[in-house]
Amino acid sequence: MENSIRLNIGPVHPAMHGVLKLILDVKGDTIIKAQTEIGFLHRASEKIAELRYFANYYPIMDKLDYVSALNMEILYASAVEKAANIEIPPRAVYIRTIMAEMQRIMSHLVFIGSFGEDLGNMTGFIWALRERELLMTLVEKISGGRLAPMYICNGGMFYDFPQGIEDDILKALSIIENKVNHEYHAMFTKNQIFLSRTKGVGIITKDMIKKYGITGPIARASGINRDLRKVSPYLAYDKVDFEIPVESDGDTYSRFLVRTLEILESIKIIRQCIKDLPAGPYKTAVPWIIRIPKKDTFIKQESPRGEMGIFLVTDGSDKPYRLKLRSPTFFAIHALEELLVNIKVADAFVIVASVDPVMGEVDR
Amino acid sequence: MEESNEFSYPGLYEVVFMKAEKFINTVLNWGRSNSLWPLTFGTSCCAIEMMTFGATKVDADRLGVLFNGDSPRQSDLILVSGTITKKMARRLLNVYEQMPDPKYVIAVGACNVSGGLYHDSYNTIEGIDRIMPVDAFIPGCPPRPEEFLDAVRVLQKLIKENRSKAQENGRS
Amino acid sequence: MVEVDKLKKAVKGELEVLADEKGLSIVRIKNKKLLTKLAWQLKEAFDLLYCISVVDYSPDFELNYIFSNYSNSDLFIIKVNITEKDFAVDSIAGIFNSANWEEREAYDLFGIKFNGHPDLRRILLPEDWPGHPLRKDFKVDDEVRNWTGLDLKF
Repeated sequence: MENSIRLNIGPVHPAMHGVLKLILDVKGDTIIKAQTEIGFLHRASEKIAELRYFANYYPIMDKLDYVSALNMEILYASAVEKAANIEIPPRAVYIRTIMAEMQRIMSHLVFIGSFGEDLGNMTGFIWALRERELLMTLVEKISGGRLAPMYICNGGMFYDFPQGIEDDILKALSIIENKVNHEYHAMFTKNQIFLSRTKGVGIITKDMIKKYGITGPIARASGINRDLRKVSPYLAYDKVDFEIPVESDGDTYSRFLVRTLEILESIKIIRQCIKDLPAGPYKTAVPWIIRIPKKDTFIKQESPRGEMGIFLVTDGSDKPYRLKLRSPTFFAIHALEELLVNIKVADAFVIVASVDPVMGEVDR
Repeated sequence: MEESNEFSYPGLYEVVFMKAEKFINTVLNWGRSNSLWPLTFGTSCCAIEMMTFGATKVDADRLGVLFNGDSPRQSDLILVSGTITKKMARRLLNVYEQMPDPKYVIAVGACNVSGGLYHDSYNTIEGIDRIMPVDAFIPGCPPRPEEFLDAVRVLQKLIKENRSKAQENGRS
Repeated sequence: MVEVDKLKKAVKGELEVLADEKGLSIVRIKNKKLLTKLAWQLKEAFDLLYCISVVDYSPDFELNYIFSNYSNSDLFIIKVNITEKDFAVDSIAGIFNSANWEEREAYDLFGIKFNGHPDLRRILLPEDWPGHPLRKDFKVDDEVRNWTGLDLKF
């Protein structure tokens, strides 16, 4: 195009999340054409699934969406248990719900931190990671691992909750609730610089959401009230009382707000789950090597980034015949090609950050 | 952190009789080892732990590791954290070659040590020492943030003892 | 379900219903040319294409088109079988825009051609990557594992 400059940003760029590459044609400071390139972290998770036993695939699920590893583990466990008709005890259901919501809070805190960092707000980054560390310590106490906990297994989880961990969780939650309600509002939502950088930037309309098949917090920020935890409740979500935050503007500010409000809702869920936590066994004994008869299983759950799905094909052997992962941000990245046109280069980074891509699950 | 810093300031006697070159080298190595500016080449999981390494609690700044805007032209340490795929390998070398000498490499995580979890994947490199010289390896999947501190201490020791890969290859 | 009856009417007996229960319908099309017609019919009730999953039953390949919609969580799965001789299927990227990248991925990892796709390039692997790795006949041997990929141009 005439008078335009081609700008390659990424895959290694300090302002870029993960290894996403943007190819922008810019005229002056305005983007006139945007392309994205993915695949720099394609680690063949789907092929490896065909080489591993069902129980040995959990570490790979951890590294898919590495910011919300427990959600991925629970998703895969649900898929295997649905295919093999394994019932899990009620205590395991509740523990899984608590862990999933704790991971959701941690994931959204990483989003808040890196979003702040991309806007030049380094304090927000340090603060969000400080709060995340509180929960990280608890996850370490419970499971023994930090980022990749390896806590869930077929039929339940590897260990029960340690004694007295419930009080620690409640204590950490009240600290986080306090910080989100007060400090983060002062730092972000009442901050004039933050507001002028995010309000009205990168508007995703309802039509665009449906056109590209986007789900999760991005869809909810555009006024689509859809959350699989409500629409088709799994785990213990039908037994707890919570709301789905929905915003109607569809700009980057709404996406930030939806995720921040989701932290508060998750705190509500965990409190109720801890109150109702039933006693009893924490796992069903399942042999390490299981054989699942020939069938197709599709399962979907609400990960912090949207609706994550697994299509599992088994053929009676001890390994999956085919495992297809449906990742939510894969579709959101596709929408960037339309979203980034006719905006300034400086705003492009805010929009990419607000989509909150984790390239591990985009490239798989 | 039990091991003490083995470097001590050269005394007057030593300074007088030390060869000028050696003295300058010692001072340079001392300076270099205490102001390692990293290029954070984060691709996946380990990058999140690297963020924790730079944030509070672990705090990289206390060892002189300042996260200074991630420009390869101003960095002397590259923290390769996260799986390197075949598509990424050439990009990694491209960034590595832009860094000024002497440059040091820390390979973070099991993927970069030996392939780790993805040892039977068709699209990953089993250890980045296949494509570039590496000074320190951090095992773990992903490693704890404290292990980053340990690796930096090891690298500082190597630099002071003239044993880093860049110095051994005569590129300092 | 209502949709299955409607689709049966539209494609006249070329449809094999595998499951039709509340919240989940699975159908198999015998003639793959009817896929686009079916997708048009389906769009009113199911507006979200979840994913396209290819399964390698060599020499046959089975494509699973998984649909859902934004108002509830019902699933609709269309199975299409293609053989290695005629290794192509009509693209539905013009009907469901989100199929665009999913079809590119299927082309990348399995080598399936999609007729009428606007931009059929590889998406995850570089253009000059040899082979289609998710096929069953692609074995991860030492040669692949030891290759560093530095000679790739893209």
